[in-house]
Amino acid sequence: MSSHAKAAKKFIADRERTAWHDQALFFVREKRDRMAHNVPEWEALREMASNMKLHTIANLPYYLEMFEKNATANGIHVHWAKNAEEHNRIVYEIIQKHGGKNLVKSKSMLAEECGLSPYLEARGIDAVESDLGERIMQFMGTPPSHIVLPAIHVKREEVGKVFEKELHTEPGNSDPTYLTHAARAALREKFLHADIAMTGVNFAVASSGAFVVCTNEGNADMGTSFPKVHIAIMGLEKVVPDYDALALYVRLLARSATGQPSTTYTSHYKKPMEGQEMHIVIVDNGRSDILACTEHVNMLKCIRCGSCINTCPVYRRTGGYSYSYFIPGPVGINLGMLKSPEKYSGNVSACSLCYSCSNVCPVKIDLAEQIYKWRQNLAPLHLADPSKKLMVKGMRFIMNHPGLFYNAIAAGRFAERMPRFVLYNSLDAWGIGRELPEFAKETFNEMWKKGLKTD
Amino acid sequence: MSSRDDILARLKKHAVDQVERPEMTFEPLVYSDPLEQFKKIMKTVGGNCVVLEEGQDVNEVIRSVFPEARSIASNLPEVTCATVNPDMLDDPRELNGTDVGVIRGDFGILENGMVWINQHTRYKALFFISEALVILLDRKRLVNNMHEAYKQPAFDDFEYGCFISGPSKTADIEQALVVGAHGARAVTVILE
Repeated sequence: MSSHAKAAKKFIADRERTAWHDQALFFVREKRDRMAHNVPEWEALREMASNMKLHTIANLPYYLEMFEKNATANGIHVHWAKNAEEHNRIVYEIIQKHGGKNLVKSKSMLAEECGLSPYLEARGIDAVESDLGERIMQFMGTPPSHIVLPAIHVKREEVGKVFEKELHTEPGNSDPTYLTHAARAALREKFLHADIAMTGVNFAVASSGAFVVCTNEGNADMGTSFPKVHIAIMGLEKVVPDYDALALYVRLLARSATGQPSTTYTSHYKKPMEGQEMHIVIVDNGRSDILACTEHVNMLKCIRCGSCINTCPVYRRTGGYSYSYFIPGPVGINLGMLKSPEKYSGNVSACSLCYSCSNVCPVKIDLAEQIYKWRQNLAPLHLADPSKKLMVKGMRFIMNHPGLFYNAIAAGRFAERMPRFVLYNSLDAWGIGRELPEFAKETFNEMWKKGLKTD
Repeated sequence: MSSRDDILARLKKHAVDQVERPEMTFEPLVYSDPLEQFKKIMKTVGGNCVVLEEGQDVNEVIRSVFPEARSIASNLPEVTCATVNPDMLDDPRELNGTDVGVIRGDFGILENGMVWINQHTRYKALFFISEALVILLDRKRLVNNMHEAYKQPAFDDFEYGCFISGPSKTADIEQALVVGAHGARAVTVILE
């Protein structure tokens, strides 16, 4: 059984919760659909956005150097980090230089990827998450289960409980408005007293040396409004050529992510504000290796909208924690495999090959096709499940021998009349978590032969 | 070799085949009645839109929308109802507790209710920390979509700029929409 299937067992044990989780995400998917249908040129927009990404990927050094040159001219300090360790060290050195203690950060998947918060915590820096969902997860001491909706798996009562303990809210009050405003008041103090602000980057505009951060809450902007230091971190694939290219992604991002026409705040940072120092860290951490994987290079197009996660029937019914990579869903399956097939191959089975992810992706990444390719390559990587390998071998033998094949069908028809305990028991790995399909009364072969006689 | 040069060298070594920059092959969304569409989209994004009538004064509108506001912060000379000029403060933290911030938007976007705010105040905190935000906008400055927005003359002439589309919001608790996460709880755009 794959690592995903094992972990999912825990999640699906609570049927009611599974249904609730499924519904919550499908609600977001439906909102996305309404937004997409309101833009007549949606498909042409996706196509162009996808090709623009490919053009950018083919010219990454050119656009990154252009961005660096322009950002530097704007007064931003540009740093480069080969990997997570170097990224963390650079961030820590900047904080240290300024004697920073209280850091307020907005959501960044790159920070998760690099394990920044635990790294800073170990060095005595309090890194407060300011996105509400991230803050909830920080209080709970568990990672986000979704890249855009970090606390999508948490029920309001659970938020109420943790806020009661951490923010001294009224016992038993789990009204989302009440809880959100309690967090607003508490985080306002953090914003006002932070000495370092950190943000992620949604897009870096090469032609201008500006970078763009998108939020609905305004937490990134509030966070960067007071401290004397702003550190922004970006994966190197976040660079876009210019504003004409940026327009494509701004149109697609929020519509795909949460089904809004845009995020509330789309902030453009170009020069440090009066008395402030601004840093940007450009991170590789394996991205330049993805460039060399011809079959998977499309993953560098990803704008982290999460729409593939919302639509995935497996994610919706198994939750983010069933995946062993920190990014779940179709995007996470692929990025995990690119990071380390040895560590993360347990996720490739978490796909029904329905291809819904490929159909909603705003930059047309062939997510499902890539998952299929990974599966095909498990055997050469020596990561295939031995029991499945044996079964496939057996199937191939039977399929190649028509006599055996029709005997097997007859046996199947007989087997389906057997009592459940015979068919679904612990000896039958295939029957665990699967229902046998009902066999058709007649095979196509039988129908065909009959048809030939009557005509 | 520095990390920078190392990363760039790796990217060059792993380079994929050259791909031409794509041309735009579609006609993006346009609206026949800009004023109506702007009102409609502002509603969608949770904002409020007031179209200034002939002879009506913005201060009158601000006062009528926020009759209980005690502190109104603005550096715009025409906003005579302002109680504080935020540019005169020594520290942006002093803006905490501001009831209404009044600023000027450069242009609005019909497809998504965004208004471009090119920072013309000393502190950008004003846009986010005010309990309510009022944006004054020339009604002739409404563009159809993002493509037109980024093509506005001298767009790139900013230090910090933000597209704001309605009030601050979140749905992080059970996908229940709550207005007023960290930023303004209400946004009113006054079309002059």
